[in-house]
Amino acid sequence: MKGLSEISPPPWLWSFLAAIIVLLLTFLVSGVGGSQTVTLAFTIAPYLVLVGLGQMLVMSAGPGNIDVSVAKVFSLGGLLSIAIGEMTGSWVLGIAGAMLAGLALSAISVVAILYVRIPPIVATLATSLITSAISLTLAKGFQGFADPAVKSFLNWAPFGVPAFAVLVVIFTVFVSWLLKRTVWGVQTLAFGQARRAAEYAGISAPRTLAVVYLTSGVLAALAGALRAAFSAPNVELGNDYLLDSIAVVVIGGTLISGGRAVPWGVWGGALFFILLDGLLNLIGWSYAGQSMLKGLLVLAVLFLAGGSPILRRRGARSPASWISRAMRFRAQERPSAQTSRHRRRAP
Amino acid sequence: MNATSPALTMGGLPKGSARRILPGLLTLLAMMLILIVCGTIQPRIWSQGGMTLIMSPIVALAIATMAQMVLMSIGDIDLSIGFFVGMVTTIVATFMRETPLMGVLALAACVLAYAMIGALVQLREVPSLIATLGASFIWLGVGLFILPVPGGLAPDWLFQYAMWRPPFSIPVPIVTMVFATAITWLFMQRTRLGARFRSLGSNPTALARTGASLLLTRMLAYATTGFLGVLAGVTLTAEIGGGDVNAVPGYTLTTIAAVILGGGMFTGGRSVAWGALFGAVTLGLMTVLLTLLNLSSNLQPAVQGSIVIAVLAGRLVVERLTR
Repeated sequence: MKGLSEISPPPWLWSFLAAIIVLLLTFLVSGVGGSQTVTLAFTIAPYLVLVGLGQMLVMSAGPGNIDVSVAKVFSLGGLLSIAIGEMTGSWVLGIAGAMLAGLALSAISVVAILYVRIPPIVATLATSLITSAISLTLAKGFQGFADPAVKSFLNWAPFGVPAFAVLVVIFTVFVSWLLKRTVWGVQTLAFGQARRAAEYAGISAPRTLAVVYLTSGVLAALAGALRAAFSAPNVELGNDYLLDSIAVVVIGGTLISGGRAVPWGVWGGALFFILLDGLLNLIGWSYAGQSMLKGLLVLAVLFLAGGSPILRRRGARSPASWISRAMRFRAQERPSAQTSRHRRRAP
Repeated sequence: MNATSPALTMGGLPKGSARRILPGLLTLLAMMLILIVCGTIQPRIWSQGGMTLIMSPIVALAIATMAQMVLMSIGDIDLSIGFFVGMVTTIVATFMRETPLMGVLALAACVLAYAMIGALVQLREVPSLIATLGASFIWLGVGLFILPVPGGLAPDWLFQYAMWRPPFSIPVPIVTMVFATAITWLFMQRTRLGARFRSLGSNPTALARTGASLLLTRMLAYATTGFLGVLAGVTLTAEIGGGDVNAVPGYTLTTIAAVILGGGMFTGGRSVAWGALFGAVTLGLMTVLLTLLNLSSNLQPAVQGSIVIAVLAGRLVVERLTR
């Protein structure tokens, strides 16, 4: 019994397994086992993966950290990159401008979180509202077209392998390496596991939080800029990306309580979601049915992958479950700025 | 927390109460300020008709904020309330008009579904944020299933209520809002169950030691949220006259902001019905203010966001001063 229970599969395995099952079902339904479905999924997934990686970094920085501004920043990135691209005639400047805007907007969140001590969800919500106002103003009578060079690159798939997806895979390898092998990565995850202990160990809270939120903003804007070049810029382009980015990060095995980031899981989750959409379209489900099934799946994943074991053995609880239990406790009585100050003053 | 301790501040209030009440007062101040500014530009809003006009779009938001407040008092967050309220409007605008019994059953099922989410959160120790996120997909799906495009018609009794003119020229939206808030306040502050909800947020271990069931308490809290969400959906149907699942997806985040403005905390344990009402009205009045100032409605979200940051920054300053 001991051997089997101690083998723990990598956390990203489940999301890929789910994606493969959906892929096989798609083949079964469509009757053709072509690589087209896979190519299409890999053409669309990278945008979600980019947003998801940013969201993953934010969520790994501890309980309560979440970036709800990604959707609006995504849309603005799309509009801005094309507007600047049209104005200057250079798509490089367009994308750079969008990323800069993402950086500036997430800087608002960072200042609000660190110096006004606003809870992250409200701070990023405020940023999201400000961003959407800029987008709406910008989109008034907006007409612009993406540079054909970017568009053809995003559609370019030599031997059925989308080049853009390869770039994002390389970026995922890089993020994975950063998290595992660099001081920054280890510090960020340690901060996510136990904020106070990490701070006593000399890890700077402002630096850690600033880096993850700024990265998330830049990645969302970049993904939006590229997505707009792929289809067309639109104020509502990013709307689906908020819920989807959070869902794929969690399905991918990243702990919502922080401290464990699973970059490959984001890929698995994104492929799963996109293949599922394709499959449901194929068998003629309406958007209503798709949405319902997506929700049930997220809840089912939560039920299976929840913090406590389904079959609880009395007295023989694995250390892992103790840790997750302790984390949930931390999440519940997370020392907010107020209470921690209060406690310190109390004799 | 201890009323007999020497740590008294702000006119003799114990520190705990001061921390609970002050943010709400600050938000009340902001709300009054906005109302006065609106009133100076357009004095007609101070009439019964004018007040009804500017307040009626806020009623559903205020009740949805109560729902969010109940959930935040146990330390959870509801990311699905926007689509839930939208889905309820589709049920009310279809079933409630044609087959009232079916409608009531469907709405009861909604409340039950909320309780089930509460059970999932408690039993499987999953974060409420993600569980309700998953649920929001389901609400959206069900809503689209019932009404793929906005439509339907609110039941006649709802229209009659919306048309009702109370005596003493009190605007009907204010009656509804204050009534809903008062009930929520009474329930949360004066009943045993309300106290259990709050202690589930502040100290679940202590609650378990009193012999209460954590599972049952959480399920009941979620059911209460669902019930208030249904009420918000009913009032929204009266306001928009029909059903549309995509009517108010923005409620999800606006309600959270309103509760925070009212003095609520993410850590739970704090129930701030009146503060949450002021928060909701403050955020809801933004539209009116911008229209009166002749500003583009595109700017509305930015002003809302800035107000949230400004009020919270103001609260930080006040807290520093009262320390």
